[in-house]
Amino acid sequence: MKSEFAFIALPISALIAPSAFAVQYLTVDQAQRAIFPGKSFTAAPVNLTSVQRKAIERASGVRVLRDEQQVWRVSGGGWFIVDEVVGKHEFITYAVGLNADGSVKQIEVMDYRETYGGEIRDEKWRAQFVGKTSKSPLKLDSDIKNISGATLSCRHVTDGVKRLLAFYEVALKR
Amino acid sequence: MRSRSSVEVRRARPLLGTFVQISAGGKDAIALELAINAAFAAVAEVHRLMSFHDPESDVSRMNRDAFHKSVRVHPWTSRVLKGAYEFSRNSDGVFDITTARQLVNWNYLPRPDVRFSSRSWRDIILEEKCNVRFRQPLIVDLGGIAKGFAVDRAIETLKANGVMAGIVNAGGDLRVFGPTPQLIHVRHPTAPGRAAGMVRLRERAMATSGIYFTRKKDGVRYVSPLLDGHTGRSARELISVSVAATECMPADALTKIVFSLREKAAPLLERHRADALLLERDGAPSWIFHSPCDTHDQT
Repeated sequence: MKSEFAFIALPISALIAPSAFAVQYLTVDQAQRAIFPGKSFTAAPVNLTSVQRKAIERASGVRVLRDEQQVWRVSGGGWFIVDEVVGKHEFITYAVGLNADGSVKQIEVMDYRETYGGEIRDEKWRAQFVGKTSKSPLKLDSDIKNISGATLSCRHVTDGVKRLLAFYEVALKR
Repeated sequence: MRSRSSVEVRRARPLLGTFVQISAGGKDAIALELAINAAFAAVAEVHRLMSFHDPESDVSRMNRDAFHKSVRVHPWTSRVLKGAYEFSRNSDGVFDITTARQLVNWNYLPRPDVRFSSRSWRDIILEEKCNVRFRQPLIVDLGGIAKGFAVDRAIETLKANGVMAGIVNAGGDLRVFGPTPQLIHVRHPTAPGRAAGMVRLRERAMATSGIYFTRKKDGVRYVSPLLDGHTGRSARELISVSVAATECMPADALTKIVFSLREKAAPLLERHRADALLLERDGAPSWIFHSPCDTHDQT
């Protein structure tokens, strides 16, 4: 088979707002099985006190935006945490598995949403995605599975993981 | 008709400073997950070896010590350094991993705790047995080529684990394999939340460079991390360059060269049997280079 390198320009009608890319990779269940196969999980959500929040911010150098944290205790030791980060253009939900000693076992992106138009920091705009992964209103680009183009940095997730490691020290470790 | 048992597994992790997405298709979801985990492990290994930020990486060890003594690096790092050297030589220094100095000065990279000055790729000596020496005090950054190399290693790992079809995409540098051509969208150069268009790829890699996320003001002028090592100037035009090649490492390096040289890069593209696509700020292609041999392996 001959592979022609042909560029197919998209018609201008494909360029209407909203301009966004979104991918769902894993539900909470799937992320749990991906990081800790064969284990069971007990929900153990944490509500941070202001003292704890400040301790986490001091230790990690990263701001804590929410006091409640979704945490599960893993059978046989370890923790499963779901967290989200918001950047200038991205809103990402991800899961972190911690070993019993608090070291990072695995990080998986659960939901990746990228948008241009300034709505990303709007709680209401983000709320529309919670638990609504299959019928996202961002239908426009639902066919886009692979995109080539310059990089959006993962710095917010890296910072988020730093914050969660401090969260472990402050709120989970015993 | 889709095979009854055919599944696709898709995962993403933060690695190499970006998001790396790996998809694999086959019959057995558990086997695909194991293969994807192994492929991520290969990417994580590249990250560990070639990170500019990690003080224990090969890159940091070279930057610290290679001017004073030979530094032994991992065979993978050695392969990337050799690749980088070839691209520097063939582009008369347009591609140059020692431009890290400039990236530090513009705060794209953290300032390492070593003395370094303005030097070029010619001052890097690749010795036997993966040893590296610097003739001058300099620093290197493999950011312009390591992502492509990581994509190639991940693809190799998927194949070695029996996966029949898959895609690895490291922040826009990607490679596809398997019998079915895949549709790849290319970001619009000035509206990166949109696709300007698409390309169909089969058994091929493609990398795209643009500066929409990284351009910033340095005093009164704009700078970007996309540097022409020959002139020392950074790209300021909001265009994008995509290069398709058999492997992702050359595609990754060649985008930087085409960004600076544009049509003058044609002979080099030809040598690598690579295709190139240049999109102007309005998203329209202003130059498409077709590889003289854009038929690949099993013609």
